[in-house]
Amino acid sequence: MEKPEKKNILLILLAFFITVCVIFLCLAKSQTLKEVAISFYSYRDSPGDLAQKDSVQLTRQIKETQRRISVLQKRIENLSPTTPYLIINTTKNTFVLRTKKSIIREGICSTGSYILLDAGDGQQWIFKTPKGQLRILGKRTNPVWIKPDWAFIEENLPVPSINDPDRLEPGSLGDYALSLGDGYMIHGTLYQRFLGLPVTHGCVRLGDDDLKTVYENMEIGSKVFIF
Amino acid sequence: MKKLNISKKSIITFFASQIAIVVVIFILFDLIPVTREYGTISDKVRERGENTTARLSKEQSNLIDMVRINEHHESYLRNALKLSKIDSISLLIDLRDSLAILSLKGVSIFESKISRIQINNGLKKLPDFLRDSLYSGPLQSIEDISSIEKFPIVVKKPAKDTSEVNKTEAAPTIPKQNDVFVLMAFDNNMVIEIDQQESKLAGSWLAHMKYKRQHSGWFLSKNIKSLFGSGQRGYIYQLKIEIPREDAGSIYRALPIKPFVLVRY
Repeated sequence: MEKPEKKNILLILLAFFITVCVIFLCLAKSQTLKEVAISFYSYRDSPGDLAQKDSVQLTRQIKETQRRISVLQKRIENLSPTTPYLIINTTKNTFVLRTKKSIIREGICSTGSYILLDAGDGQQWIFKTPKGQLRILGKRTNPVWIKPDWAFIEENLPVPSINDPDRLEPGSLGDYALSLGDGYMIHGTLYQRFLGLPVTHGCVRLGDDDLKTVYENMEIGSKVFIF
Repeated sequence: MKKLNISKKSIITFFASQIAIVVVIFILFDLIPVTREYGTISDKVRERGENTTARLSKEQSNLIDMVRINEHHESYLRNALKLSKIDSISLLIDLRDSLAILSLKGVSIFESKISRIQINNGLKKLPDFLRDSLYSGPLQSIEDISSIEKFPIVVKKPAKDTSEVNKTEAAPTIPKQNDVFVLMAFDNNMVIEIDQQESKLAGSWLAHMKYKRQHSGWFLSKNIKSLFGSGQRGYIYQLKIEIPREDAGSIYRALPIKPFVLVRY
């Protein structure tokens, strides 16, 4: 038997490789090819029962549907709070204080950093701002921060007892604080230059003037939407 | 150097065989599943009635369209109201007003202007009443792929000393810019994609390629599954919207793991 030439073997291998590539490409581009396939078809539109109706009946049906649409739009509109409410975007770190009809104030804020503090021994904290619909549960002026355990662990300091005065830190929360429950608050900050960045331990930090407006407009029970 | 001796006949045979392979694959993997899907939809159209628009006057046909548009709007609002009863954030896509809206408890908490809408052939060709009833929702996403993490968690150990604490306080880590591309899949063989409108990448080219690989891999696996799995449908209906990068990121991160989506065509 004649020995196949090296070049012929290479050619066969090349042809095989190209064939495999073509098959793979066809499978990878299957969605595009399906788009080509579906362009061969078209459906017969069926008006169903509507075809039995005359113009007067159809016009009446349109008017009735439009009336129902207005009712539904009103019902949806009525779901918005009647008092001022706050919307916080934790991705952009922005806030909007608004009423149903208009915006009172908007600007930048700081929200949770999404840092997971791993202190070892199974002790972990995740610094994220809770999402959903919350309410203002309390309002305070000149708030004093009662430092939780993680604030000491984060700085590698010994954790004091619950009522230890070392836990109290006046001034760092700004002039006002609005409580959202579970230790989360809307408050001011000493680090104004970080506003607009996700740097907090879960609370929402606002600039001084923004915080004052929010404090003055939001009552206990006012809604806060965080997303 | 010795010249390659390839005959004209072998070249023609080679190219003809490649074309034959493409045609066979197209028929087996694309045309047959699409024909099956066409049959399923045609049956649904037949169930609705045998009347055709050919017998209708232009005025009547326009009025019927108006009825459909209004009824679809009504059903969209009814579903939005239904979604207001759940505790999580839902996504409303209003293609008529070109808006992507995040809604929580019926309150519109975020709106983004859609700059581009792409609907694939299958969705375009569907009779309006079927598209409105089957592909407008509320649809609950069953899986998603995205170019950004849902929760950008960074693990940190406690500071070693006060100098490290001071360093962190002086300059916190600024989150890096990422490109945002999201695909949400639903159990009715529909996918909704939310892509950033910016064509210039903010993040790395590698990260973008990684998403593209995931994206085409997802379609490939779906298409292969549809060949072998009984009850699997062979065609994926696609709706793609483009919005600003930051808005796309906000929407993706705001939505829960398996969000509800509502579409108004």
